[in-house]
Amino acid sequence: MSALHPFSLLAIAAALPAFAWILPAPTGGLATAGLALMLPLVPDPRWGVRVVRLALLTAAPFWLFLRLLHDGPTTVAIGGRITTMVASFVWLVAVLSPDRLVEAMVARGWSLAVAYVFAATLSAVPVLKARARRIVEAQRCRGLSPRGSVANRLRALRALALPLVLSALHEVDERTLALETRGLGAGVPRTPLAAPPDRPAERVARWALLLLCLAALIWRLA
Amino acid sequence: MAVNGALAFDGVAFSYGNVAALRDVSFEVAAGERVALLGRNGAGKSSVVRLVTGVLHPDEGTVWVGDWDTAGRAPEELAWRVGSVFQHADQQLFARTLREDVSFGPRALGFPAPEVRRRTDEALDALDLHAHAAQHPYDLSPALRKLAALAGALALEPTVLVLDEPTAGLDRAGRGRVADAVREHADRGAALLVVTHDLAFAAETLQRGIVLDRGRLACDEPLDRLLTSAERLKPLGLVPPPVAALSVALDLPGRPVRERDAADTLARVAGGRSRS
Repeated sequence: MSALHPFSLLAIAAALPAFAWILPAPTGGLATAGLALMLPLVPDPRWGVRVVRLALLTAAPFWLFLRLLHDGPTTVAIGGRITTMVASFVWLVAVLSPDRLVEAMVARGWSLAVAYVFAATLSAVPVLKARARRIVEAQRCRGLSPRGSVANRLRALRALALPLVLSALHEVDERTLALETRGLGAGVPRTPLAAPPDRPAERVARWALLLLCLAALIWRLA
Repeated sequence: MAVNGALAFDGVAFSYGNVAALRDVSFEVAAGERVALLGRNGAGKSSVVRLVTGVLHPDEGTVWVGDWDTAGRAPEELAWRVGSVFQHADQQLFARTLREDVSFGPRALGFPAPEVRRRTDEALDALDLHAHAAQHPYDLSPALRKLAALAGALALEPTVLVLDEPTAGLDRAGRGRVADAVREHADRGAALLVVTHDLAFAAETLQRGIVLDRGRLACDEPLDRLLTSAERLKPLGLVPPPVAALSVALDLPGRPVRERDAADTLARVAGGRSRS
């Protein structure tokens, strides 16, 4: 799956949530959620199970809040759509290499700054995850217990979340300087060294997805 | 294994999945002893730090902190005895002022306010950070943030202090502050285990060297003997610090590895020659 062109992966990850919101609820949302959850299982079921588990764990709080606010049918209708969005994004982060995305965008003539915004968002996930783990370990070694009552956990949250946010913001300065000094703002087209191959069949499939979305939208509005 | 030291590894093995990080590692660190943990990148040094703090637990063998077996103990429980500074320690700071951040550990362990104030003041004093106590940690330079993280560990007044690369990114003055602070803490009876690639710092500050090589204990002996043996250091990926190399090159009596000792020895030798 990761051998697909980055634009194809983006198109799939964008089309599924679009269909989820365009098609009639709850069938549309549940069907697209099912598809989004099956995507990771296609190349490697063992790896896919981990991705699906992460997607379900991320979607679970949304279902909880929806159930608190709405009746059963509304919860299922909106929950299916939100699960599609979450599962598509989790799958995209797992399968799309930010470096390949930047190369593909640059090869297609996109501005490097725009490409960097996409890539930085995707690459931030594993970096922040590793940093969060380090911060949790460091604070626990200073005596902070992230377990126990809800009040205890909320108190601990500040000591865990603040350093993560502060250090991430602080790093933005350094990263910006590093990129500027390496010619990000030079204003000339960047040379792609290994542009991912974009097969004609994939290009056709991407256009087909877009047309299908438009057709579904017109059908729903008609 | 009879536990005499403040810290002891007894036949410890640990793996990350299929990758063995430590194999059958055993050593003890006595109260008040200052020990350097040396070795190449990937030798297993940081794994030792994480095992001492309870972030990891051994697959085989036992890690003792005093009479506590770390098995089944969480890092926050071991914080009563172990103070630690990890490689990216400056990323853990979060409070509005440096003073508040340094006091975080004693407050988390529930010490009364006067005791928290005393520990915080002493830790700030030890690293000469009082002038920055009211500043936001992220307004400080990375070097000062590193010292702040060490102050946070000292404020726990641990019986075992483990530091992972405490001098990385510090200038000479900063390294001096770290050396003074950890020496003073060890003099009060704490066992000190320092992971470092800075052999000059190790020579000046620490007494004993433990070298790991591909997860196994390769060497455990007094640093002044180890650092003057270039032929033994080389296969372990280590290079003698300048003072130790000079001692060997000049064949100074006693082969001193600390600057002051080398200067004294040189003065004695030169004095002896001028008299003769």
